[in-house]
Amino acid sequence: MSSPGDSRRTIARRRETALFLLAVPALLLLGIIFAWPVLRLLAMSVEDGTLANFEKATLDELYLYVLFDSVKIAAMVMAICLVVAYPVAFWLSRAGRWGVALGMFALLLPFWTSVLVRTYAWLVLLGRNGVVNRWLRDAGLIEAPLPLLHNTSGVLIGMVHVLLPYMVFPIYASLLRIDPDLSRAAEGLGAPAWRSFLRVTFPLSLPGVSAGCALVFVLSLGFFITPALLGGGRVIMVSMLIEQQVREFLDWPFAAALSTVLLVATLAIYALIGRITRGARHA
Amino acid sequence: MTILTNRRGLLQAAGGIAAAGLPLPAFAQGAAPPKPDRIVVNASGGGMATNLRRAYFVEFERLHGIRVVDTSPVDFGKLRAMVASGNPEWTVTEIGGQDAERAKELNLLEPIDTSIVDLSRYPAVGRHSHVFVGSAYSTALGYRSDVFRDGSHPKGWAEFWDVRRFPGARSLRNHPVDNLEFALLADGVPMDQIYPIDMDRAFRKLDQIRPHIAVWWTTGAQPAQMLVDREVVLATGWNGRFFELSRRNAPVGTEFAQGSLKSSAWGIPRGTRNAYWGQQLLQVMTNPRLQAMYATELSYAGLHPDTASFVAEDIRPLLPTAPANLERQFWLNVGWWTENGARAQERWNRWMLQRG
Repeated sequence: MSSPGDSRRTIARRRETALFLLAVPALLLLGIIFAWPVLRLLAMSVEDGTLANFEKATLDELYLYVLFDSVKIAAMVMAICLVVAYPVAFWLSRAGRWGVALGMFALLLPFWTSVLVRTYAWLVLLGRNGVVNRWLRDAGLIEAPLPLLHNTSGVLIGMVHVLLPYMVFPIYASLLRIDPDLSRAAEGLGAPAWRSFLRVTFPLSLPGVSAGCALVFVLSLGFFITPALLGGGRVIMVSMLIEQQVREFLDWPFAAALSTVLLVATLAIYALIGRITRGARHA
Repeated sequence: MTILTNRRGLLQAAGGIAAAGLPLPAFAQGAAPPKPDRIVVNASGGGMATNLRRAYFVEFERLHGIRVVDTSPVDFGKLRAMVASGNPEWTVTEIGGQDAERAKELNLLEPIDTSIVDLSRYPAVGRHSHVFVGSAYSTALGYRSDVFRDGSHPKGWAEFWDVRRFPGARSLRNHPVDNLEFALLADGVPMDQIYPIDMDRAFRKLDQIRPHIAVWWTTGAQPAQMLVDREVVLATGWNGRFFELSRRNAPVGTEFAQGSLKSSAWGIPRGTRNAYWGQQLLQVMTNPRLQAMYATELSYAGLHPDTASFVAEDIRPLLPTAPANLERQFWLNVGWWTENGARAQERWNRWMLQRG
């Protein structure tokens, strides 16, 4: 004896199975080219049967300091990206056809240029005798050149430039999904534009903000060439130390331990970002 | 030693051919394995790739009818991974100077077949069992010749350290190699007593110059670019980068005094399919006429003794291997760095992170 509810459930389950089968190729691919190497990496870090590599990666002052510094820089890049990207995404979501075309073009053009080329362009622009400093000096705004390059500010400028599209697009997508009637209704009920934005539009765009923040943060943590060039040697990111171990010293087990620590830190912060934005949405 | 193996190899080859009943002159063709349609040569890329092609690859393609595909960059980790995989993509690869010794120790390279690669006239510094020395280069001092006119620039590292007599922003490489040596030389250690490096002493000396280093550079293009932009007035760098600027009439000069000489190493990854044709490519690279062509473009001169005589006279003083320059420089001790590199790098990282 089967009730109508049962058969509905069976259909639902069948549909679920079918959908799962559709995802199998992608899952297999991810498993082979991502999960398996990550496991191998983990295994390599404890190859010698001890946790010595992890001890060094997590307790040694040098590596701790660099990890902390990398997280700090990634968080700063994420925050700046968010502040810059949100208004852009907001404008794009309300712009006409030509506005969107222009905005997309301006966002995507640098996106298609090699990171190395863009980084060198910043060297030319931000140097002591670079375009920016010369312009500010000619305008009489400064006397001595501003130290824009070869320090943390140079790294931040370069990284924000590279990562901005990763923040704009998720926010733009989530803004597009919001029913425009909602803010119209809020305004119809007497809410001023700023309140309708704060209470209706912004909370509904949080999934995009969360995705953008997570993307930018995770990508920042792995950044390598931009901080190496624009930091003038004074900014060290974990990825640089990993690269040193892999390429120069061939100490792959230690590199694996460092990578694992970075991976765990990334996942932890990723979870934290998700929790914060979810919390904000329910508040 | 080399000549001995050379002769033995030749005798063996000759014996084999005699047994096969072939006339001797045909052995080069007779012993050659089938030709692939292409070989892959991995090197540093950039201007170097263009000139490698012009000087050597074109000649190889003409001689053997095998296309040379070039890839970059030089990557020791990748070399190791490729050999471990059992099927290296590269037929021949450049190897960072410091890694050559390690590549041989880790058994990553095929031996150089001296019956194909003729090194009989090479100096001892260019004859190794597994590594072919393509050319020599130097980490030298680049300076703005409009700031330091008429030879008033620092000559040697003690003067580079002297910020009162030679004021201005400076740049050093963000790496312990060369810098520890330069620091010791600045501190008065004679060139022939640098090794083994006294790291405490070197870092103490580096503490003094640290506030005057505007940029710790990472890539070879940086010091050249910064001199051109006047971001700094003094910088260490690969001599070839400064050479390029001099040739384009930028106000940048090169000082070789107490420069650090190194050789660019090439090897054939162990287990690569077309190793025989890799050996043939290296043989093409021993040709002094082609080496001169390459040196004229990049200043990185090969070690064949006849090479200098094929180079135009006005270019010779800019070559690190010119006799007058050679005697004022020292050869980087690769062995010391192979043994102590990781320790020195870790100390360097810590030192870089100190505030101030």
